[in-house]
Amino acid sequence: MTTAYHELEKGGFIKQKQKDRYCMRLRTIGGNLSVEQLAGIIELAGKYGQGQVHLTTRQGMEIPGVAFQDYRDISRELKKLDLLPGTCGPRVRAVLACAGPDTCGHALTGVRPLVESLDARFFAREAPNKVKIGVSGCPNSCSKPQENDIGLVGAVEPQFESGRCAGCGLCVEVCPTGALVLAGGRPRIDRERCLNEGDCIAGCPTDAWRAGRVGYHLYLGGKVGRFPAPGRKVASFLTAGEIPEIVEQVLAVYSARARGSERIGDVMARLGSAWDAALKDSEGGGNEWAV
Amino acid sequence: MGGVIPIPKAFLDITGDVCPLTFVKTKLRLEELAPGDVLEVRLQGPEPLQNVPRSAKEEGHRVLAVKHEGACYHLFIQKGEQS
Repeated sequence: MTTAYHELEKGGFIKQKQKDRYCMRLRTIGGNLSVEQLAGIIELAGKYGQGQVHLTTRQGMEIPGVAFQDYRDISRELKKLDLLPGTCGPRVRAVLACAGPDTCGHALTGVRPLVESLDARFFAREAPNKVKIGVSGCPNSCSKPQENDIGLVGAVEPQFESGRCAGCGLCVEVCPTGALVLAGGRPRIDRERCLNEGDCIAGCPTDAWRAGRVGYHLYLGGKVGRFPAPGRKVASFLTAGEIPEIVEQVLAVYSARARGSERIGDVMARLGSAWDAALKDSEGGGNEWAV
Repeated sequence: MGGVIPIPKAFLDITGDVCPLTFVKTKLRLEELAPGDVLEVRLQGPEPLQNVPRSAKEEGHRVLAVKHEGACYHLFIQKGEQS
């Protein structure tokens, strides 16, 4: 009973507008479910719900129409299937992710290991308001990380090996930002304009463009809702290993500085440069926060 | 690159196609060739230029050369051993 109450507190069992009906919210790790889990959800949606599921915008599934008194039974059955409860309210929400390198040729980073570590450490942690985290394996940003309070975007730094270059100019043509120009038969890169998506590396016939640093760009303060605003890039080429600690610092500064129910982006907008200073202080100046 | 390009065994024009047919057609044409054979692909615009060479590399082929011809590009793709 204690466990059930604890889970209830996290808010994954959401009151519907219909009297005594609740929506059982489930989360996934980056939108992945096994066929056994899917079959289990089908069964439970028939048994406890109304024979329907709802796909959430954060890659979760909801079983609507569950009676309040069935909460413990359905929870027990979901747990047997290793299905994860969702959350709502002022907490860290399910981490949103793109398909990643298992199936996508564009992904530059592992995605799923990072999503798992962020979920394990931060899911449902209480905060001044909701905190959404999104991860994408490349700047195509299919999972829209910049719309999240904390967004992570896979990135690669192209490195050039002049001796291998045949001067074909393909990289110049495929560069999405015009960061490359051909000068004297060789491409020249403007690092300021580089999007770090790696199209030059992927397309180069002679592998003259190769991967240098690979990691994640960090965006903070993104949100949609009634007043949409994209996140602001605050760090580059962070490794999956160091990101959880950085997220910890972001949450600490957010919790300390938020007034009322401000989102991270609201706090950043109100504090301006003081936000960046507070982040720097929180981690002792060891990381390079400014991009 | 820079060396002599083997004479292409086949030619494919995908200037009238859009994603995903650009690479699908390239892939199907490559499947008809023997390992080591060269396919010349004529394409146009940023999308196939972005996707065809990268997809060819991902599937184990080699892009031997890229040549301009007006608004078009010609890719010389050598079929890989494993493909």
